[in-house]
Amino acid sequence: MMRHACSCTCAVLLLFLSFDRAEAHPHVWVTFHSEVLYAADGSLTGVRHAWTFDDMFSAYALQGLSHQKKGQYTREELASLAQLNVESLKEYGYFTFARADGKKLKFLDPVDYWLEYNNATLTLHFTLPLKEAATAKAMQIEVYDPTIFVDFEFAKDRPVSLSGAPQCLLTYDMPHQPTPAEQLRLGQLDSDPLGISSTYGEIFANKILVKCP
Amino acid sequence: MTRLRGVILTVLLAVLVFCAIDVVSAQAAPFGAPHPAGAMSAAGFTGWIFAQQAAFYRSLSGFIRASKEDGAAMWSLFGISFLYGVFHAVGPGHGKAVISSYLVANEETWRRGVVLSFASAGIQSVVAIVVVAIAAVLLGATAKAIGLTVHLVEIVSYGLVILIGLRLFYVKGRSFLLACRELTWTPAPVLALTSGHSSKTLRLPTSRLGPMTMRGGLCMVDGCAGHEHGFHCHDDHHASAWGHAHGPEPTELAGAGGWRRGLSAVIAVGLRPCSGAIIVLIFALAQDLFWTGVGATLIMGLGTAVTVAAIATLAMSARQIASRVAGTRAGFGMLTMRAVEVGAAALIVAFGALLLAGYMASEQLWMFTG
Repeated sequence: MMRHACSCTCAVLLLFLSFDRAEAHPHVWVTFHSEVLYAADGSLTGVRHAWTFDDMFSAYALQGLSHQKKGQYTREELASLAQLNVESLKEYGYFTFARADGKKLKFLDPVDYWLEYNNATLTLHFTLPLKEAATAKAMQIEVYDPTIFVDFEFAKDRPVSLSGAPQCLLTYDMPHQPTPAEQLRLGQLDSDPLGISSTYGEIFANKILVKCP
Repeated sequence: MTRLRGVILTVLLAVLVFCAIDVVSAQAAPFGAPHPAGAMSAAGFTGWIFAQQAAFYRSLSGFIRASKEDGAAMWSLFGISFLYGVFHAVGPGHGKAVISSYLVANEETWRRGVVLSFASAGIQSVVAIVVVAIAAVLLGATAKAIGLTVHLVEIVSYGLVILIGLRLFYVKGRSFLLACRELTWTPAPVLALTSGHSSKTLRLPTSRLGPMTMRGGLCMVDGCAGHEHGFHCHDDHHASAWGHAHGPEPTELAGAGGWRRGLSAVIAVGLRPCSGAIIVLIFALAQDLFWTGVGATLIMGLGTAVTVAAIATLAMSARQIASRVAGTRAGFGMLTMRAVEVGAAALIVAFGALLLAGYMASEQLWMFTG
């Protein structure tokens, strides 16, 4: 009897605990285009991103920013915000993860960054240079937020492009539907958070693949 | 009242069905090869819930824009806001676990649990509105400043949760220890009871009797009820959340004064605004529709409250069943209930600590804006 009462309580405690879990619930949507940059010698030098935020987050980011004309923002007026964006993104590795033949590559701080305001949305342009240019038969660049706060999605009209390596083949993969096992893991994020080395968030990754001869 | 109960029960049922399906989907493919047909459709249901939630959120901006020209769109906006609140609260950060643990630890009534859930969701909405009203509307602060404010409020909220948990843990832990001791002292009260009303004979065992007089119903089982001016079962040692030795009677708890206890938990939980609400409010403000945003935020809070109340009700029903079962076994039964309360209090501390450490919160408004 006693054991029954106890297990009953425990079961329900666990039940409502399971509701307080980190499910996929993004608050920021990014539609992006990425240009993979190759040097003349056939080595990968970096990635040039253009991230367009959803209109609600754009409005949030623009809050309090002084500008001359209502509903219009010049690149100069947005310069401080662009600076803030790239500085803040450093902590998250710019949500960009590159591998050359499976080996992880490191990026330097972004260069050539600016914000553009168009159709009530903000687009962040920035170039991520590689720390060291890399050559490989198979390059893989992934763009995703492991915490799922930001939802990244390839731009429909022009998802990816390749610059400077005509001999290479560029393809891309959208994130797959999480498998049941992955769904299960998703439900355990609270009780068992992801470690730093975890690659779990990759199931939400947008993959860019470059194959060179 | 009965209709409200009906609504809550319906929601509860829906939540249970959702959970059951979730459990089935989890068991259908334990880490192994995914079962293509059955398991995927069940897992797809969870996915569907979250896809709906995302769709609701994304459609909010369209409805806010539309309500600028079309008054009718405002009602659609409010409807979507409510649904978004219901679905969204299933995700983390809406104090379900803290509120539920609090209610379990304090043996609150069903009605009060629902009211506290609604109050915490209400405060959460109001805090979001106040932050945006002061920071954005009055001061014209930037997103960075607002993100920082939300972050600070969050830290205070989590700190308060830890404090409430610690306080409760102390009070309940003491009750538990006393209940333990009471078991070994069982012969003493029997002697005291049979020794009559003389204050001299009563004075000595009273301190030992303390623990067994904590719960009115259980006191009666032990036979101390009916002693009008002996020791007061109901009054003297009813340990409240704040550890007052002279806590109120259960019936008094339902009165106005008793609400003060729950208020602290509600404020601690409700203090932390939802990032979604902040973004929606600022978006509405940018469209010169701040008041529409305020309406949507309040209704979103209502939706959140329904989910939180359903989960809190679930937790409290479990406690009631457990305590009814425990009630049939006076000694160990009470001990178990005390242990459950201590466990629930410890959970509150754990939640607070995890939230403060940033493990459970994934809503980082400052991700892009410092």
